[in-house]
Amino acid sequence: MSSETERRERFEAIATEVYDPLQRYLRRRATAEESGDVLSDVLFTVWRRLDDVPRDAVLPWCYGVARRSLSNHRRAAQRHLRLVQRLESERERAPSENPADVLHDQDPDLAVALAGLPPADREILRLWAWEQLEPREIAQVLGSTANAVSLRLSRARKKLAESLTRQDDSIPGHKGDERAEEQQR
Amino acid sequence: MTDQLRKRLARLDPMPPGVPTESMTTESSQNLLEDIMTTPATEQPASQPEPKPNRWLVGAAAAALVVAVGGAIALTGGPSGDPVAGGPPLVLEAGGEDVTASCIMFSVEELARAPLAFEGTVAAVEGESVTLTVDEWFKGGDAGQVVLNAPQGMEALIAGFPFEVGTQYLITAYDGNVNYCGFSGPSTPEFRAAFEQAFGG
Repeated sequence: MSSETERRERFEAIATEVYDPLQRYLRRRATAEESGDVLSDVLFTVWRRLDDVPRDAVLPWCYGVARRSLSNHRRAAQRHLRLVQRLESERERAPSENPADVLHDQDPDLAVALAGLPPADREILRLWAWEQLEPREIAQVLGSTANAVSLRLSRARKKLAESLTRQDDSIPGHKGDERAEEQQR
Repeated sequence: MTDQLRKRLARLDPMPPGVPTESMTTESSQNLLEDIMTTPATEQPASQPEPKPNRWLVGAAAAALVVAVGGAIALTGGPSGDPVAGGPPLVLEAGGEDVTASCIMFSVEELARAPLAFEGTVAAVEGESVTLTVDEWFKGGDAGQVVLNAPQGMEALIAGFPFEVGTQYLITAYDGNVNYCGFSGPSTPEFRAAFEQAFGG
């Protein structure tokens, strides 16, 4: 990257591309305050490492930086676990404040099944369904390979489907039956 | 069925396309971007002082950023200068013993016996030291950073795995020595799952 003008142009182009999806990524996983801080961190990293940003995977690369930054952020304050627990309980206590809860109410079976998966499975499913990434892109975020991600993703989907089936088995006549059966077909 | 599950999961998304985010054209967004672009962009080598945080980076955000992109605090500032919560960095030896002697076939049960296990992101590689910022402790520690020392060159360390700045690794150690025989290495979803299973994470 030669001139300052070129750097600025490239940075602005990347910022334009990632500004909205990065905010969504962060708000799906963090408080508004954390999201703002980490968004700054990520953009700052983009600026400093402009030449390292892969042209064909700008957004997944930024998600990867955001993931590590968020993780550092939480650990730095030594409150990762407490925060996660607080977020969970806040969600339970104040459903109206979080758009997620309205949606959770729409499909509680799936929300419960998702919450019951190991964190790594949950995250891979979120990257797949929420960020709408393909295995190759998920691999970029997680620092893995497309093959490994594909395998992991298909296992996570299987676990999720099994969990949905188990819910239905354990609660006879549960209202989620029809939906889950639909899923099985 | 896969597509259907993906759509069904997407409906749980708390931030679907319809929910607005902050526009890039707001004053605060513009200020942020301008602040970033007026910051010197040159990558700071580990031996140079840390960059001065910008005014939009305060408190924990600044500390996290320094760790994420600023480089090796442990190598330059020493324990007392470490701004990261969790005390001084933990120092482990990597490559001090015969590599083949400690190789045991991998199993989650064996992994679970490791007294020390964490996931960390490489913050700096300098000479024979690798500084990792700990992302998660699975077992046995609480330091914010771990420094791995190899006696003879980094290629001796964690057989076949070069340490790259910004990449995550899963590390186990016995008696202050990294166990690199299949029990440490770059973090992949599979390897991480094994750690979660082994350490109940």
